[in-house]
Amino acid sequence: MRKVLHVDYSLCIGCETCQGVCEFIHHGKPNIRVYYTVTGIPIPITCRHCEKAPCIEVCPAGAIFRDHDGAVIINPNKCIGCMMCLAVCPFGVPTFDVKLKAMTKCDMCADRRQLGMPPACSEMCPAEAIFFGKPEEVEEEIRRRTAEKIARERISKVSLEGVGKLI
Amino acid sequence: MGGMNFAFHCREKPRPTGKKVAVIGAGPAGLAAAGCLVCQGHEVHVYDKLPEPGGLMLFGIPEFRIPIYRVREGCERLEKAFGVKYFPRTKVCFGNPKENGDEFVEREIDFEEIVRNYDAVLIATGTWNAYVPTIPGSDLEGVFPALEYLFRIKSAKLGYMDWSKVPPVEGKKVIVIGAGHTAVDAALESVNLGAEKVYLSYRRTIHEAPAGAYEINLLQQRGVKWLERTMPVKIIGENERVRAIELVKTRLSEPDETGRRRPVPIEGSNFQIDVDYVVCAVGQMPTPPFSKETGIALDRKGRIVVDSRHMTSREGVFAAGDVVLGPSKVGKAVKDGLYAAESIHYWLMEVKE
Ligand SMILES: Cc1cc2nc3c(=O)[nH]c(=O)nc-3n(C[C@H](O)[C@H](O)[C@H](O)COP(=O)(O)OP(=O)(O)OC[C@H]3O[C@@H](n4cnc5c(N)ncnc54)[C@H](O)[C@@H]3O)c2cc1C
Ligand code: SF4
Ligand code: SF4
Repeated sequence: MRKVLHVDYSLCIGCETCQGVCEFIHHGKPNIRVYYTVTGIPIPITCRHCEKAPCIEVCPAGAIFRDHDGAVIINPNKCIGCMMCLAVCPFGVPTFDVKLKAMTKCDMCADRRQLGMPPACSEMCPAEAIFFGKPEEVEEEIRRRTAEKIARERISKVSLEGVGKLI
Repeated sequence: MGGMNFAFHCREKPRPTGKKVAVIGAGPAGLAAAGCLVCQGHEVHVYDKLPEPGGLMLFGIPEFRIPIYRVREGCERLEKAFGVKYFPRTKVCFGNPKENGDEFVEREIDFEEIVRNYDAVLIATGTWNAYVPTIPGSDLEGVFPALEYLFRIKSAKLGYMDWSKVPPVEGKKVIVIGAGHTAVDAALESVNLGAEKVYLSYRRTIHEAPAGAYEINLLQQRGVKWLERTMPVKIIGENERVRAIELVKTRLSEPDETGRRRPVPIEGSNFQIDVDYVVCAVGQMPTPPFSKETGIALDRKGRIVVDSRHMTSREGVFAAGDVVLGPSKVGKAVKDGLYAAESIHYWLMEVKE
């Protein structure tokens, strides 16, 4: 069933938990990395598992495939390391792994999904800026969070006191 | 979508190993370690001086950044599904002086007793000693370290502290010293609490602000007055209370031996502004759960020294998070906690890495 792994940049606080957790479970090499722009804004960069993935289309070795959840995955045994996927990826995601002699990237935590567990970054992001699930569920959640954000900016703290649960 | 899943490594609690680990400090480092350790089958007890686990994620960082339920439900899951046992309001100490966040302590446990009672110990007590610059008037009523200020606001929001203990900044003038994330949060919370005027004073320019130019610009949009290239000289009081602050303008010195240009005061450029509160976000010091000799080495900055296994100079006692790194970030503390937990597991099970 199609799943998405979505990072919402307006909710991200740049704490680097996603990167730390990803590094821990991937032997020191994170697939999600936080970059700081010149204005000081943190942006986590990771594979967006595109629906019409340019990397799949361009790969001359046919090494990139999509699994049953819609995750775009590179097969290191087929990859010839030509870096064409990196050249066409709008987010500069695929990385050359010197040891593997192949390109690697986020596989939406394939091992974890097999056991019925969501990707680790989405489990641990304290700001709940990383969503994982069916597209319609994720979109629903994002709109709910955005509504809360708009309300928070509009209503003063005092009038919110004692109303519902703290957000 | 629910809480953080600190025990993200496993689906359910595995068979017990029979080993018992104490984690001192329930911030991101301690909780991440606890989650990793329960997934290895160890029994984990978490001690914290605050009424609820979460550390600065709950008692420092404003909830518009980290939603309260995200931390709270995560800690509950660790307890209910994985059997982590919390000992809240319990300060682990060995001659410790009073530190920030001690208001809620109901029990004190000797650090040595913890070491005796567990197979391994992880210290993850963070940096809960916030200081204010030593300038004349820094002891006046109305001067707060930013950590203390934000801690009180969060404690009141969480329902543990009466709002009367939160500085009543509504309709008042507040100056925040510093330009890091803590300073930005203190300024924003002051605006949210209805302060009439909020100033932010920083020794360098917006380009050097550790929080980034974007955050400073956002503050300015919300009406905060940005006073770059200024530093406090003295705080002026009246009847023991803050009335005004004297700042001096700065310029950058010629590069020193390290190539850094330091801000130096420009003589005669002093000026005063009327303020009711001074909030200093200039730094925090590590707070290990001991201040007497325990055989655990600290470095010059008071941080616990650990080896590549995260072990302190005492066998079986490990440390992770800001108490080792100095003030850092949630993610750095989490990562440190994870690697420390892995080392603890190897050490307990005598696995060679
Ligand atoms: C105002 C503020 C805003 C911040 N904003 C951000 C941000 O936006 N993004 C980001 O990534 N980071 C931010 N940080 C930094 C981040 O909060 C810390 O780096 C992180 O929480 C450190 O984790 P830790 O587990 O090492 O320590 P802590 O979170 O400090 O946890 C330590 C725990 O140990 C307990 N403790 C201490 N001494 C004892 C004792 N003797 N006995 C028992 N318990 C004890 C404390 O009560 C506390 O619960 C901010 C910090 C502050 C102060
Ligand atoms: S864990 Fe979440 S808030 Fe932190 S950097 Fe990653 S996406 Fe941003
Ligand atoms: S690697 Fe790039 S192009 Fe390919 S699916 Fe991921 S984000 Fe899209």
